[in-house]
Amino acid sequence: MRLQLGPAKPATPVREVLHSAALALLLIPATAKAQSAPTDRIDFSSLLYGEQSRTQVIEPMVRFTHLLPDGQSISAQLGIDVITGASPSGALPSGSVQTRTSASGRVITSPAGRIPLAPFRDHRIAFDGEWQKPWSRYVTSTLGGTYSREKDYQSLGLNGKFSTDLMRKLLTVTVGGGISRDTVFPVGGTPLGLSDGSIVHRGSNDKNVTNVILGASRILSRRWMVSINGTQTFERGYLTEPYKVISLMNLATGQPAGELTDKRPSTRNRSSVLFSSVYHLTDDVIYTSYRYYWDTWSVRSHTIDLKYRHALGGDTFLEPLVRYYQQTAADFFTIGLPQGAPLPDFATSDYRLGALRTITVGGTFGFHPEDIPGEWTIRAQFIRQAGNSSPPGAIGIQRNFDLSPPINTFAVVLGYSFDY
Amino acid sequence: MTRTGRQICRLIFPLALLLIAGCATVQPWDRDLLAQKQMSFNPSPMLQAVDEHIYFSKEASMGGMDAGGGGCGCN
Amino acid sequence: MAIRGAGRNGGTSAPLVKRVEDHFVGTFEAMASPCTLLVDTDDPGEAATLLAVAEAEARRIEQKFSRYQRDNPVYQINHSGGHPIEVDDETALLINYAATCYEMSDGMFDITSGVLRRIWTFDGGSDVPARNAVQRCLGHVGWWRVSWDSPTLTLPSGMEIDFGGIGKEYAVDRAAALIGALTGSSYVVNFGGDLYTSGLRRGNRTWGIGIDDPDRTTEAVLCRLEVSTGGIATSGDATRFVRWRGQRLGHILNPKTGWPVTDAPRSVTVFGRTCLEAGTLSTLAYLQGAGARSYLEEQGVQFWIV
Repeated sequence: MRLQLGPAKPATPVREVLHSAALALLLIPATAKAQSAPTDRIDFSSLLYGEQSRTQVIEPMVRFTHLLPDGQSISAQLGIDVITGASPSGALPSGSVQTRTSASGRVITSPAGRIPLAPFRDHRIAFDGEWQKPWSRYVTSTLGGTYSREKDYQSLGLNGKFSTDLMRKLLTVTVGGGISRDTVFPVGGTPLGLSDGSIVHRGSNDKNVTNVILGASRILSRRWMVSINGTQTFERGYLTEPYKVISLMNLATGQPAGELTDKRPSTRNRSSVLFSSVYHLTDDVIYTSYRYYWDTWSVRSHTIDLKYRHALGGDTFLEPLVRYYQQTAADFFTIGLPQGAPLPDFATSDYRLGALRTITVGGTFGFHPEDIPGEWTIRAQFIRQAGNSSPPGAIGIQRNFDLSPPINTFAVVLGYSFDY
Repeated sequence: MTRTGRQICRLIFPLALLLIAGCATVQPWDRDLLAQKQMSFNPSPMLQAVDEHIYFSKEASMGGMDAGGGGCGCN
Repeated sequence: MAIRGAGRNGGTSAPLVKRVEDHFVGTFEAMASPCTLLVDTDDPGEAATLLAVAEAEARRIEQKFSRYQRDNPVYQINHSGGHPIEVDDETALLINYAATCYEMSDGMFDITSGVLRRIWTFDGGSDVPARNAVQRCLGHVGWWRVSWDSPTLTLPSGMEIDFGGIGKEYAVDRAAALIGALTGSSYVVNFGGDLYTSGLRRGNRTWGIGIDDPDRTTEAVLCRLEVSTGGIATSGDATRFVRWRGQRLGHILNPKTGWPVTDAPRSVTVFGRTCLEAGTLSTLAYLQGAGARSYLEEQGVQFWIV
């Protein structure tokens, strides 16, 4: 270690060249005014969703985000879903052609041995607003409102969350919650649960949802961050699917001998824990997450999600993804009820409350065309969902049928964002 | 709380402690990678929202990173 | 190594001025560093105004030249996909300055070398990147690959520029110039250890500048320097290194080999007429590795090597 503070020697070219270059740079007029940063952003996306011979959905969405100079932002999002097609009614396949009349008065014919589908057509319009405000360099709050409306369903919600950075921004803790007041007003009235559907009451049914979330994310190194999120949701009110039915089975033959309406408990508490990790390799990024979910209807599920973002230079990337999901059945799920036996308190044959697994493979391609401003993304996914095709409760002819044929879905989302 | 619930809690608390107690120190000048847009748990919120909507309509589970979106009659 | 002003004041983040003995101290945080302004005055209003000016200028430069911000000239250049980009006057002058540094250092000072930081982690560990990763990365490094015809820059796709080596020093000099135009009081602008002092204080006193122990093992300063006018800047940081075969390699990378400079001093502090001059010379000296001392002796500048 040495300090040289002696008289300076004559300056050599390097030092002088740098000095005059520095002066040339520093002589330009000082403008202390901040340059106008882009303050707004528009995101568009459009989903095209098609299940093989079942439901088709087209869902365009647009979102505006306005950034205020003090770090606040407000955003508004509008989405429209147009849904057409058919979904399983819940009824069992029959040995012969089945004909029934739908809620909307349409006559439905199902081929022998195939699970009956109920056609439907609906559209949904959803509006979301969000206001984000930093309170200091370490605390940010977000307040949001949601509204959505379908032919027979309306939802109005409010949510908020607080995030705090701790330990020199290595740890972020988030606390949030939301409430929503939903109203269900089935076409043709609300049928009495576990009835033949002839007794209906007009008017609407309420469903209230309260939800709390607690999360922490942690930077572990320059390349790695992890997070843990827990959510708890309380649902109260009308949680039944008014259009789903349950077949009454002939105990000897298994032949469907009638249909009862769906009936579910009026409370459901859902819990989930999600672990996520983001790891940056040299250029690529690996995203992994695992979620465990459980609820008071005895549904348990595991979800594993993997994405690998492969950088292709500039803003271009290709991101393959895989997702695996597995759930157990709700305790009141049944493929059908025995004819003549006493009725349970609750029952459903909705396949989505049965045991099932979903496998998704797909990928996202993101690019930034040179002559058009903005970023484009296209995500394509193939989703295969299958339940138990020969459940233990099947009797008689039902043992010959595939009671939960796999559903193949192809979904494409096109996204476009730009700042202005 | 159910038995599984208690088991889950037993699993979460040590992990949560780990989150807080980890020994990393990442200085501000070493946040070049962390500052990138893709270094986020949810780099494309809109795609994520679309996916969540799809799975919510096909599966019995929900819950993840965000506090409730708009309700839907699809489930 | 960090340099602190004599009246170092706790780390409050609010833009406030505090009286310390016979002068005012204001602090804020910008460019990922603690920033301090010392003003030799008895008027808190004057000190607060000057602090606001310094902070606004620091933030303007950070916003405009940080490679972590979107939609600034650096972002536009780095996302130009190989197409020519026309830049504004200030950016052009800064690029001119960087080009001069490149020439004066025989290519050792290179604003395109930042991509190498993706493969290096200077957290005190012992991970060094694979040879082929370095080679691949070096394919995107080299100012000679860039076409610069002011104000038009054409950066080949896959390359990036950043003003990490000169941006903070530039901000110090800019803020000092703006403050100098507004006041006759003596002041010190200190942005994370790169600083500018503006002449003698009242009573012909100098500002005492303390130099920290680079290992930061103690709060005590290693040495106090009495300075009047000029810039002071330091290269090298004892806390950012990687261990390799028993050596501590600091975080400054040689753009020709893709490796950290070997045999370099722990830190090099240089006194110059401007902070930019001091900062550039300290970086150029550091890039000489073991030759840092003789390089600075040749330049005839005052310096301090640890």
